Amino acid sequence: MTLAPFRNRRPSPPVDGAADGTAPEKGRPGAFGRRPRAAAGERRRPVLVLNNVTKTFPNGRSALKEVDLVVPEGDFVFLVGQSGAGKSTLIKLLIRDELATEGQVILDGDDLARLPRRKVPNVRRKVGIVFQDFKLLPTKTVRENIAFALEVTGTPRRAIGPAVDRVLALVGLTEQAAQYPSQLSGGEQQRTAIARALVHDPRIVIADEPTGNLDPLISWEILQLLLRINELGVTVMMATHDADVVTALRKRVVALEEGRVIRDEVGGGYHRTT
Amino acid sequence: MLAFLGFSVQRAWQGFWRNAAMSLAATATMTLMLMLLAGFWVVQAGLLAGLDFAEQKVQVVADLVDDTPQTAISDLERQLTAMPEVRTVDYVSKEEALQRFRDSRAAQGQSDLTTFLAQNPLPASLEVSLWRASDYAPVAELLRGDKNVKRVTNIADLAARITTISEFLRTGGVVLLGIVGAIVLFIIINTIRLAVLGRAEEIEVMRLVGASDAFIRWPFVFEGALVGLLGAVLTLSVLGAASDPLSRMMVDFFQILPIRVGTISRDVAVLVLGTGLGLGVLGAWVSVRTYLIR
Repeated sequence: MTLAPFRNRRPSPPVDGAADGTAPEKGRPGAFGRRPRAAAGERRRPVLVLNNVTKTFPNGRSALKEVDLVVPEGDFVFLVGQSGAGKSTLIKLLIRDELATEGQVILDGDDLARLPRRKVPNVRRKVGIVFQDFKLLPTKTVRENIAFALEVTGTPRRAIGPAVDRVLALVGLTEQAAQYPSQLSGGEQQRTAIARALVHDPRIVIADEPTGNLDPLISWEILQLLLRINELGVTVMMATHDADVVTALRKRVVALEEGRVIRDEVGGGYHRTT
Repeated sequence: MLAFLGFSVQRAWQGFWRNAAMSLAATATMTLMLMLLAGFWVVQAGLLAGLDFAEQKVQVVADLVDDTPQTAISDLERQLTAMPEVRTVDYVSKEEALQRFRDSRAAQGQSDLTTFLAQNPLPASLEVSLWRASDYAPVAELLRGDKNVKRVTNIADLAARITTISEFLRTGGVVLLGIVGAIVLFIIINTIRLAVLGRAEEIEVMRLVGASDAFIRWPFVFEGALVGLLGAVLTLSVLGAASDPLSRMMVDFFQILPIRVGTISRDVAVLVLGTGLGLGVLGAWVSVRTYLIR
């Protein structure tokens, strides 16, 4: 079935008693979970809209073709497809690492192609991004790695400590805060990366193969964490190869093949179910 | 703004020491290059001073007719002094000329022949020093046109030779200094680029979490400035320690050269500090730019 994805979802419990779908609170860093969440069945505002997006690289290879995609606030979306199907390109468009050749990419109301260069950092702060290879700085502790994201965006010093504490507690790394990435397991490193992605209180968390380097048990742990974050009201988009995970969770699945969206359904498996 | 500055300086300092091996290598390269530059500068300055000195030694000498009235001599002196090419004009009387002749004979250890003369055979003369040897022509012309002037020494050959040599050395010196400067520039910028490259990971993370360009750039620029400043200070202290024995040797060697050591060392200090700081900042700016334009 290819219904509009934001219908037919199970009702989500209201968070912090606010479920009126009004404009989200301009949060303190790391203060997610306070964002009001739309009640089931209500039209939620889209965090991400791709409108007829085509990306052709200078060498003539086209990575995305006429992609239409709407991700409403609070959604959990799997992005699946073979290597080279266009997943990475799609993610690069979302953080404005690349610009679409045609069509529009609208993130939280901003058309990324029309955004002046100096506004780009603001958009990136609305996107928390998590990679397969974690991208942690080896010379910084867990706490410093997370605080770094706030320091380099000019957050006042006194706001940094509490924000970092909150996300550390959320991902369950309070104990390991003083350790260096090399002293952590792969799962802990990825949790650190997720905490760093969350500390800006992003509108959407994009995880690019976050479990690609982890063994199955740890992968489930990371997935549980992403689900919990989603429960708290943060939109999550996860690119993955992991068919088991996708099939088991029955979330929205967007499948790419040769740069086109070939499937977009809620509750689908990794492979075509029909 | 102040917080941002504090942040940048603090990060620059941290960055410098976290990557100490690379930073110290960059500083060492900077120091060596600045020393090379300063060395060339000093040699060039010494050379130019020597050339100036040699040029100023070139004189146009005009022998005067005996019994030229004092007023006519003063008049001629005034005319010469007014010329822009002329540095000094000295009047040498017949008596002085004789005295000089005697002195030079005595200095060579030869007997004084002048006692055999009934009268002083030497003419009085005007010795005209020039700023530049090549500018002798108008002066010589003026003197030749004066009726009280008996003879003007012909310095055309000498002047031409000195001018050729000095122009060759001047141009050569500037070209060489330019080449050395360009080499220094490339090496320093590349060294700093390497140091920045070692931190590519950090820059990428900064970009991904939404750091603005200023937050990415300025810590590196300050770090570049730190490398430049440290290199310059090291260079100057080495030069300072070496300059005393060196200049003593120079003075012993080229006793006549009127090099004012004070001016040169001030110039060198400005050159070294300016180049070090400028190249450090420029190198960092250019290197980080590669990461920002994306």
